[in-house]
Amino acid sequence: MDIILKIVAVGFITCIATMIIKPIRADFSIFIAIAGGLIIIFMIVNYLTVIFATFKHLINITGVSSGIYSLLIKIIGVGYLIEFTAGICNESGNSSLGDKVLLGGKIVILTLALPIVLSILDIIMELLPA
Amino acid sequence: MGIEIIIKIAAIGLLTAILGQILKQMGKDEIATIATIASFIVVIIMVLNLISELFSTFQTIFNF
Repeated sequence: MDIILKIVAVGFITCIATMIIKPIRADFSIFIAIAGGLIIIFMIVNYLTVIFATFKHLINITGVSSGIYSLLIKIIGVGYLIEFTAGICNESGNSSLGDKVLLGGKIVILTLALPIVLSILDIIMELLPA
Repeated sequence: MGIEIIIKIAAIGLLTAILGQILKQMGKDEIATIATIASFIVVIIMVLNLISELFSTFQTIFNF
Protein backbone atom coordinates (compact mmCIF):
# COMPACT_ATOMS: atom_id res chain seq x y z
CA MET A 1 0.00 0.00 0.00
CA ASP A 2 2.89 2.39 -0.58
CA ILE A 3 0.90 3.81 -3.50
CA ILE A 4 -1.03 6.06 -1.11
CA LEU A 5 2.23 7.56 0.17
CA LYS A 6 3.28 8.14 -3.44
CA ILE A 7 -0.01 9.88 -4.26
CA VAL A 8 0.28 12.09 -1.17
CA ALA A 9 3.88 12.96 -2.06
CA VAL A 10 2.99 13.84 -5.66
CA GLY A 11 0.11 15.98 -4.45
CA PHE A 12 2.27 17.87 -1.97
CA ILE A 13 5.12 18.39 -4.44
CA THR A 14 2.72 19.59 -7.13
CA CYS A 15 1.11 22.01 -4.69
CA ILE A 16 4.44 23.41 -3.56
CA ALA A 17 5.83 23.68 -7.11
CA THR A 18 2.67 25.49 -8.21
CA MET A 19 2.93 27.85 -5.25
CA ILE A 20 6.58 28.61 -6.01
CA ILE A 21 6.11 29.14 -9.73
CA LYS A 22 2.88 31.19 -9.54
CA PRO A 23 4.37 34.61 -8.67
CA ILE A 24 7.21 34.11 -11.14
CA ARG A 25 5.36 32.72 -14.13
CA ALA A 26 1.64 32.37 -13.57
CA ASP A 27 1.07 30.68 -16.95
CA PHE A 28 3.23 27.69 -16.03
CA SER A 29 1.44 26.88 -12.80
CA ILE A 30 -1.53 25.43 -14.68
CA PHE A 31 0.81 23.14 -16.65
CA ILE A 32 2.33 21.89 -13.39
CA ALA A 33 -1.16 21.23 -12.06
CA ILE A 34 -2.10 19.27 -15.21
CA ALA A 35 1.11 17.22 -15.05
CA GLY A 36 0.62 16.42 -11.36
CA GLY A 37 -2.97 15.33 -11.90
CA LEU A 38 -2.00 13.13 -14.83
CA ILE A 39 0.83 11.50 -12.85
CA ILE A 40 -1.61 10.61 -10.07
CA ILE A 41 -4.03 9.17 -12.65
CA PHE A 42 -1.26 7.06 -14.21
CA MET A 43 -0.40 5.75 -10.75
CA ILE A 44 -3.94 4.48 -10.11
CA VAL A 45 -4.44 3.04 -13.59
CA ASN A 46 -3.16 -0.41 -12.55
CA TYR A 47 -5.64 -0.50 -9.69
CA LEU A 48 -8.47 0.42 -12.06
CA THR A 49 -7.51 -2.52 -14.25
CA VAL A 50 -7.72 -4.87 -11.26
CA ILE A 51 -11.11 -3.44 -10.24
CA PHE A 52 -12.53 -3.80 -13.74
CA ALA A 53 -11.22 -7.35 -14.03
CA THR A 54 -13.08 -8.17 -10.80
CA PHE A 55 -16.25 -6.57 -12.17
CA LYS A 56 -15.87 -8.61 -15.36
CA HIS A 57 -15.59 -11.78 -13.28
CA LEU A 58 -18.74 -10.84 -11.34
CA ILE A 59 -20.60 -10.11 -14.58
CA ASN A 60 -19.56 -13.49 -15.98
CA ILE A 61 -20.86 -15.23 -12.84
CA THR A 62 -24.22 -13.44 -12.80
CA GLY A 63 -24.78 -13.86 -16.52
CA VAL A 64 -25.63 -10.25 -17.33
CA SER A 65 -24.94 -9.47 -20.99
CA SER A 66 -21.44 -8.15 -21.51
CA GLY A 67 -22.69 -5.36 -23.79
CA ILE A 68 -24.25 -3.60 -20.81
CA TYR A 69 -21.04 -4.11 -18.85
CA SER A 70 -18.84 -2.51 -21.51
CA LEU A 71 -21.34 0.35 -21.77
CA LEU A 72 -21.10 0.87 -18.01
CA ILE A 73 -17.30 0.88 -18.14
CA LYS A 74 -17.42 3.41 -20.96
CA ILE A 75 -19.72 5.66 -18.93
CA ILE A 76 -17.36 5.49 -15.95
CA GLY A 77 -14.42 6.40 -18.21
CA VAL A 78 -16.27 9.37 -19.70
CA GLY A 79 -17.12 10.51 -16.18
CA TYR A 80 -13.50 10.41 -14.98
CA LEU A 81 -12.18 12.15 -18.10
CA ILE A 82 -14.82 14.89 -18.05
CA GLU A 83 -14.34 15.50 -14.33
CA PHE A 84 -10.59 15.87 -14.81
CA THR A 85 -10.96 18.26 -17.75
CA ALA A 86 -13.64 20.35 -16.05
CA GLY A 87 -11.46 20.63 -12.95
CA ILE A 88 -8.55 21.94 -15.00
CA CYS A 89 -10.82 24.40 -16.83
CA ASN A 90 -12.20 25.68 -13.52
CA GLU A 91 -8.73 25.95 -12.02
CA SER A 92 -7.38 28.00 -14.90
CA GLY A 93 -10.09 30.59 -14.26
CA ASN A 94 -12.37 29.47 -17.07
CA SER A 95 -15.26 28.20 -14.99
CA SER A 96 -17.88 28.75 -17.71
CA LEU A 97 -15.84 26.54 -20.05
CA GLY A 98 -15.67 23.94 -17.29
CA ASP A 99 -19.44 24.00 -17.02
CA LYS A 100 -19.74 23.47 -20.79
CA VAL A 101 -17.34 20.52 -20.60
CA LEU A 102 -19.47 19.03 -17.81
CA LEU A 103 -22.62 19.57 -19.89
CA GLY A 104 -21.00 17.86 -22.87
CA GLY A 105 -20.01 14.92 -20.69
CA LYS A 106 -23.54 14.62 -19.34
CA ILE A 107 -24.96 14.61 -22.87
CA VAL A 108 -22.48 11.95 -23.99
CA ILE A 109 -23.28 9.80 -20.94
CA LEU A 110 -27.01 10.16 -21.58
CA THR A 111 -26.51 9.12 -25.21
CA LEU A 112 -24.45 6.11 -24.11
CA ALA A 113 -27.10 5.12 -21.55
CA LEU A 114 -30.04 5.26 -23.98
CA PRO A 115 -29.74 1.58 -25.08
CA ILE A 116 -29.93 0.51 -21.41
CA VAL A 117 -33.12 2.55 -20.94
CA LEU A 118 -34.56 0.98 -24.09
CA SER A 119 -33.72 -2.54 -22.88
CA ILE A 120 -35.41 -1.81 -19.53
CA LEU A 121 -38.48 -0.66 -21.46
CA ASP A 122 -38.40 -3.90 -23.46
CA ILE A 123 -38.30 -5.94 -20.26
CA ILE A 124 -41.24 -4.00 -18.83
CA MET A 125 -43.25 -4.48 -22.01
CA GLU A 126 -42.59 -8.21 -21.88
CA LEU A 127 -43.69 -8.43 -18.26
CA LEU A 128 -46.94 -6.56 -18.87
CA PRO A 129 -49.85 -8.76 -19.94
CA ALA A 130 -50.72 -7.97 -23.52
CA MET B 1 6.16 8.18 -15.56
CA GLY B 2 7.46 10.02 -12.57
CA ILE B 3 7.56 13.11 -10.49
CA GLU B 4 10.48 14.53 -12.47
CA ILE B 5 8.23 16.12 -15.09
CA ILE B 6 6.79 18.47 -12.45
CA ILE B 7 10.27 19.52 -11.37
CA LYS B 8 11.24 19.88 -15.04
CA ILE B 9 8.34 22.21 -15.82
CA ALA B 10 9.01 24.30 -12.71
CA ALA B 11 12.72 24.49 -13.60
CA ILE B 12 11.98 25.56 -17.17
CA GLY B 13 9.64 28.23 -15.83
CA LEU B 14 12.22 29.56 -13.37
CA LEU B 15 15.06 29.50 -15.90
CA THR B 16 13.14 31.29 -18.63
CA ALA B 17 11.88 33.88 -16.15
CA ILE B 18 15.47 34.63 -15.11
CA LEU B 19 16.61 34.56 -18.74
CA GLY B 20 13.86 36.95 -19.75
CA GLN B 21 14.80 39.34 -16.95
CA ILE B 22 18.46 39.29 -17.99
CA LEU B 23 17.64 39.79 -21.66
CA LYS B 24 15.31 42.67 -20.81
CA GLN B 25 18.05 44.31 -18.72
CA MET B 26 20.39 43.99 -21.69
CA GLY B 27 17.83 45.78 -23.80
CA LYS B 28 16.95 42.81 -26.01
CA ASP B 29 13.22 42.72 -25.47
CA GLU B 30 12.38 40.82 -28.67
CA ILE B 31 14.76 37.96 -27.82
CA ALA B 32 13.21 37.80 -24.34
CA THR B 33 9.78 37.45 -25.93
CA ILE B 34 11.03 34.71 -28.23
CA ALA B 35 12.59 32.87 -25.28
CA THR B 36 9.30 33.06 -23.39
CA ILE B 37 7.36 31.69 -26.35
CA ALA B 38 9.91 28.92 -26.89
CA SER B 39 9.72 27.81 -23.26
CA PHE B 40 5.93 27.87 -23.51
CA ILE B 41 6.01 25.62 -26.57
CA VAL B 42 8.45 23.19 -24.94
CA VAL B 43 6.24 22.86 -21.87
CA ILE B 44 3.09 22.52 -23.99
CA ILE B 45 4.71 19.66 -25.91
CA MET B 46 5.66 17.94 -22.63
CA VAL B 47 2.12 18.24 -21.29
CA LEU B 48 0.64 17.16 -24.63
CA ASN B 49 2.69 13.96 -24.51
CA LEU B 50 1.22 13.28 -21.07
CA ILE B 51 -2.31 13.97 -22.30
CA SER B 52 -1.93 11.72 -25.35
CA GLU B 53 -0.65 8.96 -23.06
CA LEU B 54 -3.73 9.52 -20.85
CA PHE B 55 -6.03 9.17 -23.86
CA SER B 56 -4.39 5.96 -25.06
CA THR B 57 -4.53 4.52 -21.53
CA PHE B 58 -8.21 5.37 -21.23
CA GLN B 59 -8.90 3.86 -24.64
CA THR B 60 -7.37 0.57 -23.58
CA ILE B 61 -8.93 0.43 -20.09
CA PHE B 62 -12.42 1.73 -20.80
CA ASN B 63 -12.41 0.37 -24.41
CA PHE B 64 -13.89 3.52 -25.94
